[in-house]
Amino acid sequence: MKHKPLQVLVVEDNAGDVRLLREMFSGERAGSFEITHLLRMSEAENHLAKGGVDIILLDMGLPDGHGLETVRRAHAAAPCVPVIVLTGLDDEALAAEAMTQGAQDYLIKGQIESRALPRALRHAIERHRMQTETDLIRTNQIQFKDEFLSHVSHELRSPLTAVRQFVTILLDGLAGELKPEQSEYLEIVLRNVKQLHSMINDLFEVSGIQAGKLKIELQCASVDDAIAYTLNTLQGAAADKGITLSSEIEPKLPSVCADPARIRQILVILVDNATKFTPSNGMVKVEVRVFEKDPNFLLLEVTDSGCGIDPDKTERIFERLFQAADPAAADRNGLGLGLYICKDLVTRQGGKIWAKSAPGLGSVFSVTLPIFSLPKLLAPAFSDERQARHPVTLVVTEIGSRTGWLSNEVRAEQCRGIRDLLRGCLYSDLDILLPKMDFAGPAELFFILAITDDIGGGAISKRIRKQLDSSERLGKAGLTHSISCRSLDPIGRNATESMEECLERVAANIQELMNKEISSRQVRNG
Amino acid sequence: MDNKKILIVDDNADIRLGMHVRLKANQYETLFAADAFTAVTEARKHRPDLIILDLGLPAGDGFTVMERLKHTPFLAVIPVIVVSARDGLGNQKRAFEAGAKAFLQKPVNDAELLAVVRQALGEPAGIKTHAPAHKALV
Repeated sequence: MKHKPLQVLVVEDNAGDVRLLREMFSGERAGSFEITHLLRMSEAENHLAKGGVDIILLDMGLPDGHGLETVRRAHAAAPCVPVIVLTGLDDEALAAEAMTQGAQDYLIKGQIESRALPRALRHAIERHRMQTETDLIRTNQIQFKDEFLSHVSHELRSPLTAVRQFVTILLDGLAGELKPEQSEYLEIVLRNVKQLHSMINDLFEVSGIQAGKLKIELQCASVDDAIAYTLNTLQGAAADKGITLSSEIEPKLPSVCADPARIRQILVILVDNATKFTPSNGMVKVEVRVFEKDPNFLLLEVTDSGCGIDPDKTERIFERLFQAADPAAADRNGLGLGLYICKDLVTRQGGKIWAKSAPGLGSVFSVTLPIFSLPKLLAPAFSDERQARHPVTLVVTEIGSRTGWLSNEVRAEQCRGIRDLLRGCLYSDLDILLPKMDFAGPAELFFILAITDDIGGGAISKRIRKQLDSSERLGKAGLTHSISCRSLDPIGRNATESMEECLERVAANIQELMNKEISSRQVRNG
Repeated sequence: MDNKKILIVDDNADIRLGMHVRLKANQYETLFAADAFTAVTEARKHRPDLIILDLGLPAGDGFTVMERLKHTPFLAVIPVIVVSARDGLGNQKRAFEAGAKAFLQKPVNDAELLAVVRQALGEPAGIKTHAPAHKALV
């Protein structure tokens, strides 16, 4: 069988070194190697872009490239081609470092044994091929695992549905009266079904995290509601264990810029965990206040009097499938995915999560979430002095329903689409689509801030109307819309005030206008 | 007054039976289909007041069924509740766009199912309280 010759690219500016290298191949069978020699890195990059090179012999001191940079450039130009670095005796440390930048091997000039070079090249190519293969297998495995997780959690849901249905049918007495003992046992089945259900949901969430599919809709949200929801939801389970579940909320807390459904999810996971690892007669407490170390954030803390965690494990508990506690000690009944999901959700909303604990001394889980700040949202649009002299137009888009009522499902499903559509209607980088602020009775309100004159504001309104009129989705979902726009007077900056103060003032004006729009609709829509 | 007829479309016989028991206890009449084709023929034959539809079905899927129903005016007006084990994100959206009145994720909570059924049929909530569904899932 006739092999194609291996294509070797030598990038070396020293003619003597090149001659020596060529001689080393002279003992090889004709047609087994084909050497291309170039003097400069830029030429090498052009040559590599054309493809066909099997291996690169690279000098680290070229007229247009030095040291590790040459390795990085070669690697960037042809990520799939192995690189062997050529170096002088005094540069061995550098050459070794080159291997961390993607080089396969290094050879020290003047110490290369002539017969060893072709062998070294073949080895480097083979090693590189194996490495690439391993990487590919690993990528495929991860992908397979995620698809598998998603598939399994889907398949588990149907049988679980049947179990649940019949247990509740029995419990509700639809198949005849039950003895107290029978009811008690069925309650145990039901409790375990619920637990299985939440584990399956965790699996699903995780496969979503892996595939980057988890949706987060940032808006101006209150954490009070999320805390009330969490306490309501878990109060029963805590009381069953004799645990006191309480909350302490600083009065008049600012809103956060986050997804309310996700805040609830985070709190439920943390409080549920705390309850699990706290013995009877213990306590679990949720606290919220403005973060002392950074007033741009709210700090949520879930404190428990539970078994605690080794301090050296407080970071690892956020890893996937990690379970800190001794399996025998706690009534462990999760997959070890909750905190991993939490961390992903918190991070993607711009916050941080950490834990402080010691064995036997309970734990404190802390989450930060960015405080909603209108001035901060406005800042990019007003970064240029001149914009502050332009008028500001507030465009209000109101989405309602023909039936006069928007269900939460429809809200959640349609609003993302409408936001995308509105985003497409913005004219310039200066226009801002504000996050959701508040409910306006049964309607949904979207605000766009346009830094423009009246004509520009009118043009945006017209464009939105046209887009919404022609949207089949809205029509099908039975949704109605109305668009209005109002202008604020141009806001010049006083000589005495700083940009921040000016933004505060603009934001306050805009906020007031928005509040008026919201409350007038709340009254009208009932 | 005659009881309302509900067509249950699910390829899992146990789930069909479970829904039947629960719906019957609440004075609904039930019809069944285990695949997409039968779902459409049964709907045509019996003209149910409501269809409870699974998405993963043999001989098509829930979306095919909704598509087929739309072609016949007297079938197009029947409200459809989708009940699926599939991932809620994309499918919920697709189901609403296809005209579904509600989307429920399996395992379904019977209390929620009944509430949605009543809403879709335009009945006042909680009218038939003598056979309550078991307390809702958290």
